Amino acid sequence: MIETLTSKTLAVRIVTTLAVLVMVMCICALLGSHRISLTQAFSGRHGIDGRNTDYEILVGVRLPRVCLAALVGAALACCGVVLQAILRNPLADPYILGISSGAGLGVIVAFLLGLSWTLCGVSGISVLAFLGAVTTVWLVWTVGRFAGKSHVMSLLLAGVVVNAFFSALIMFLISVAAAKHLRSTTLWLMGNIAETSWPVLAIASVCIIGGIIALFTATQSLNVLTFGEHEARALGVDPAKVRLFAFACSAFITAVAVSLSGLIGFVGLIVPHSVRLTFGPDHRQLLPLSAIIGAGFLVITDTLARTIIAPEQLPVGVITAVAGGPFFLFLLARYTRKVGWLK
Amino acid sequence: MNIPIELENVVFGYTDTPVLKKLSFSVPRGTFLAIAGPNGAGKTTLINLLCRLLHPGSGRVTIEGSDINSYSTRDLARKVAVVRQGFVPAFGFTVTEVILMGRTAHLGTLGFEGESDRQLAAEALELTDTARFASRPLSELSAGEQQRVFVARALTQDTPILLLDEPTSFLDLKHQVAIYDLLKKMQREKEKTIVVVTHDINLAAQYCDQVLLLAGPQAHHPCRVGTVHDVFSAPTVEAVFGVKTFTGTVGHEKFFLPLGKFAKDAAPASTDPQGQRAD
Repeated sequence: MIETLTSKTLAVRIVTTLAVLVMVMCICALLGSHRISLTQAFSGRHGIDGRNTDYEILVGVRLPRVCLAALVGAALACCGVVLQAILRNPLADPYILGISSGAGLGVIVAFLLGLSWTLCGVSGISVLAFLGAVTTVWLVWTVGRFAGKSHVMSLLLAGVVVNAFFSALIMFLISVAAAKHLRSTTLWLMGNIAETSWPVLAIASVCIIGGIIALFTATQSLNVLTFGEHEARALGVDPAKVRLFAFACSAFITAVAVSLSGLIGFVGLIVPHSVRLTFGPDHRQLLPLSAIIGAGFLVITDTLARTIIAPEQLPVGVITAVAGGPFFLFLLARYTRKVGWLK
Repeated sequence: MNIPIELENVVFGYTDTPVLKKLSFSVPRGTFLAIAGPNGAGKTTLINLLCRLLHPGSGRVTIEGSDINSYSTRDLARKVAVVRQGFVPAFGFTVTEVILMGRTAHLGTLGFEGESDRQLAAEALELTDTARFASRPLSELSAGEQQRVFVARALTQDTPILLLDEPTSFLDLKHQVAIYDLLKKMQREKEKTIVVVTHDINLAAQYCDQVLLLAGPQAHHPCRVGTVHDVFSAPTVEAVFGVKTFTGTVGHEKFFLPLGKFAKDAAPASTDPQGQRAD
């Protein structure tokens, strides 16, 4: 009998990796510039003012940040998987279709306007980043749709052009911005996970986990779609429907992630490829495992970012890029020869 | 029982000049039909009309008794399987994984293949002689081996109608014959209706029941349909393809050997007792 992926093997792998992820998250929450002891944190109130500092740092600061890192990592990795499949391009990442520059533009506008209001605990900066990302993706999709016969190719070209245009606008705004905005803008563009609040996390987790579950229903269609439109149609998958659904879901979760964390590069590229090299290209497995491993990867890199030069913090994007850059070159060398449309 | 494939007055053109003019024919159940003709005569166009990749400008395509447009993409994929020169993705799907994708239209939303799906795929691996490289990535195989994998995937799709666009173009002699033998077997044992676009009219003559010869929209007879004996005559073949041939017979069926101006045997009359030059 032939050996392939069964739902049982997949379930076992998901549960195992999830268990490892929870362990990693717990360990990372305990690490940091302030040493936390578990016994101390859960020993109740004590001291002169009746406060438990260890508990407050753990639950109020570290855990939300670790959870946010996990959510963002999962979202970016999933989006990478989906875009690589629908663009049939192993070098695609979550930002290839303009989400990064759109969100970046939104953030700079927010900084320049000095927005200080919040919406359900979500800062105005995040709201504008989200709006910028969603608008850009919509623009790229619409331009790509009307540009040419080959949808995949024109989507990529539209993405590149829109990215370049908005990046120029970002550079312009940065060059005229006051110095006080520069540091916060630069930090955001490099990708920066900061402390966050539980209500924001709740909204983000509903959006991102919901989006990932929705994407999972399209994974077999994505498998078929990697063979091209004609083949997909012959096998019973409507390429236009699947592409729109997968694109909308992945753009949405990326926009949510980016609005909370800035532009964290390479996660959406190296995690899907590592999982693919290890477990094979079947998207029914690739998507959930990439989500979990992407979450773990970003939790670990973010912990490095806030501990390496403690008490100072590095933007996490620096760490992922340092790890991801060389890996990207390796992938480029390995895959470029095999990409059909590059010939 | 419904007729598997029926075309009524189908007109199709990529531009204002039609490639197919008022084409009407029907394919009875369990027929092995070959579509032949010169380049640009509309053979692949016709296959694409039959699997709804293209829509006719006017006229009607009927599959299993219902208008082709009344099917969902998924339902159509349960009726019609297509083999063409496939695109091989950069991601390293193994041969088995690719063949199992033939079951996509039969799976649920969170579709995982069950025992019966695996059984069908295992059978297709055996039938197409691809079991030897079942666990290798598709991209590492030769073009001919890939082509057999695509045939296996179409068999796994388990449809009453099978469309193939030049399934033997990359195959060596042994595997060309093997594919036609396999198709014949599928026709006989499972009563599949098979439509093959081919340039190899000699193999078509040996294996097919019916022939649809497309001569191009400008020709005097743009389309001829009939049995192999009706359609494949030396004058017809020479007129449609615009080439001199040496026509002979092997037992019952004819064969055609094209002879160009500088072919070694082009000038002198043949002395072969079985063949006669048809000038």
